[in-house]
Amino acid sequence: MNPFDIALFAAAIRLSVPLLLAALGELISERGGVINIGLEGMMLFGAYGAFIAAWATGSVSLGLAAGITLGLLTASIMAFVSVTLRGDQIVVGVALNLLAAGVTMFLYRLQFQGTQPTTVRMEPYAVPLLSDIPGIGPVLFDQLPLVYVAYVLGPLVAWMLFRTRGGLRVRSAGEKPEVLDSTGVNVVRVQWSGVLAAGGLAGLAGAFLSVGQVGLFAENMTAGRGFLALAAVVFGQWRPYGVVAACLVFGFTDALQLRLQSMGEVPREVWIALVVIGVAVAAAGVWRARRSGSSLRWVLLGAVLCVVAGGLGTALLPSFVLPSQFWLSLPYVLSLIALATSARGVRAPAMVGRPLPSRG
Amino acid sequence: MNRQALRGAAVSVLAVVLALAASLLVIALTGAPIGKAAAAMWDGVFGSPAQFGATLTKFVPLVLAAIGWVVASRAGRLNVGLEGQILAGGTTAAVVGLYLTGLPTVLHLTIAVLAGAVGGALLGGVAAWLWARRGVNDFIATLLLTLIMTQVVSWLANGPMEEPTGTLGQSSPVADTARWPVLLPRTTLRTDIILVIILVLLAAYVLRRTVVGYRLRLTGANVDAARATGTRTTLVGVGALCASAAIAGIAGSSLVLAAPAANLAPGFSAGYGFDGIVVALLARNSPLACIPAALLLAALRQGGGLLEARVGISSGLVTATQAVVILLVTGTAWYAERRRSRPRPPGASDVPAPVAEGVRS
Repeated sequence: MNPFDIALFAAAIRLSVPLLLAALGELISERGGVINIGLEGMMLFGAYGAFIAAWATGSVSLGLAAGITLGLLTASIMAFVSVTLRGDQIVVGVALNLLAAGVTMFLYRLQFQGTQPTTVRMEPYAVPLLSDIPGIGPVLFDQLPLVYVAYVLGPLVAWMLFRTRGGLRVRSAGEKPEVLDSTGVNVVRVQWSGVLAAGGLAGLAGAFLSVGQVGLFAENMTAGRGFLALAAVVFGQWRPYGVVAACLVFGFTDALQLRLQSMGEVPREVWIALVVIGVAVAAAGVWRARRSGSSLRWVLLGAVLCVVAGGLGTALLPSFVLPSQFWLSLPYVLSLIALATSARGVRAPAMVGRPLPSRG
Repeated sequence: MNRQALRGAAVSVLAVVLALAASLLVIALTGAPIGKAAAAMWDGVFGSPAQFGATLTKFVPLVLAAIGWVVASRAGRLNVGLEGQILAGGTTAAVVGLYLTGLPTVLHLTIAVLAGAVGGALLGGVAAWLWARRGVNDFIATLLLTLIMTQVVSWLANGPMEEPTGTLGQSSPVADTARWPVLLPRTTLRTDIILVIILVLLAAYVLRRTVVGYRLRLTGANVDAARATGTRTTLVGVGALCASAAIAGIAGSSLVLAAPAANLAPGFSAGYGFDGIVVALLARNSPLACIPAALLLAALRQGGGLLEARVGISSGLVTATQAVVILLVTGTAWYAERRRSRPRPPGASDVPAPVAEGVRS
């Protein structure tokens, strides 16, 4: 049975959207020099706020607005402590994750006493004409409205970061804040806006999980997606389109993993796909190495591994089951490999994890 | 104690008091009887020898994780992956405890604990290698490795290491020879707490009184100065990360070898790695101060459980209280770490004036 059908690709898109929203926000924040480990907490707050608002008012859009608002509020704590007061970014992020897990659990149990009510949820919207295209249509254009927002967000963030004055300021704040400061720009304000962008988008991502997809809230319902979004920024090497690609890859592995769990053994098509991916990676690596002169050996190693694993899998096919944990950890493994093997030029923005110098 | 340390301690105490007061206020707002809630907290911690033993049992991994954080952060490294290193150490300790049987107790236990330290250090070593050789941020590397390790443990407990019936999703208990002896009868407290106290004292001594500790602190305080005085700062960073991870690994081994179930189960680290950061922060990175800070958080964790059972206040409140403590402490770091400095004359810059050749002493 072929697992690669339309439902799989549609699920892949749907699963990448919350990642994409959160990761693009995080990209802005990290480019501005603030790493936001609390992304998970912001998403959780967003999911909770969206659920409560939708439950109270019966309106999806109010729910989304509440999700964004709660994300922004959480982000302002982050920004105030880590940017204004120069507290340690990592530690504040850890605190926000604890805060979100604790507060949402506390309030949810207090209000609903162990029941799990459902509320309104967003309805899919099939784009006229476009959704009729065979293949692509049902995958890309028969989704929740928020998914379409996510489509334009990648290019928008890319344009904002690299083509506008604000974007230039954000990037300078992340690399050399003292230079930005010397041009008379308020660096603190720039970093604040980066963190707020991350918070708002993470809140929206959380709202997508609760009100968008299922219309209910569960304790710890983000289940590590915030960390996955963090990994996507790393895997995307701090570039907007890289981050988009990373989210798609992660969403796809997640969808595939869910599918394979229900299928038992790994079908032949998956192994063949692995071989194809290996070849594609090798080709892309050669092409990029020609252009930029970066080292090839790691890319080739990865590609050869893919091909070998795929070939072995095809040969030894039956009764071979990959544990779900393999797929769940794959995004993090990929991110680490990407970081470890990338050329020296690729690195986190210089100020990530470091407080701004205090004013004398 | 100098003025700065005093101020730090005052800030920590104040943060805890404020956070506790805030959570009491929240309890009052929910309409639950405050007296009953406070009594539940108190009973949860001191109510019976069993409860107090349970508090001290939680103290063990907390204080170890905190020491792990202190060792790394004194060298200027951020080891956010303590949680993963706890998982790694617990796993290797469980492997030794399960499969290396037929040894006398002392030897088996020693090997298992050492295996825990090695397991943690291996995971920390990967992060250290990535940091030193490949220029990956230490906190990104350790965090990603934690997320990977979570899945690895879940896989091991549900797959290769699962108990014979294959239904529980956890391993069999380790051999009796690999378990810490009970310290107080009829409590969960085991003798590993003695090892922990020794480790804390050792860490304090090494950091404060030895050349290694001095170089480590120097590297953390000022990399350039350390390099200029001949310290191999990369080596120090790698060593600090590995040592920190090894300590977290020992915490992991305790969570397996001193637990009532004494087996490998998914998520047995239970957030101790992250809570350890809270402890270290409260203790202002002083190993000795980690002891009272860890006792406090252990009491919160333990008392929070009874709060939920008796008054119906979710333990989420305790988690949130911890978060508020962290925010208060980090937010006021600038105040606590402020040094008395002369007001700068107007127009003075951060850049020191160039020193003329030959004038340098």
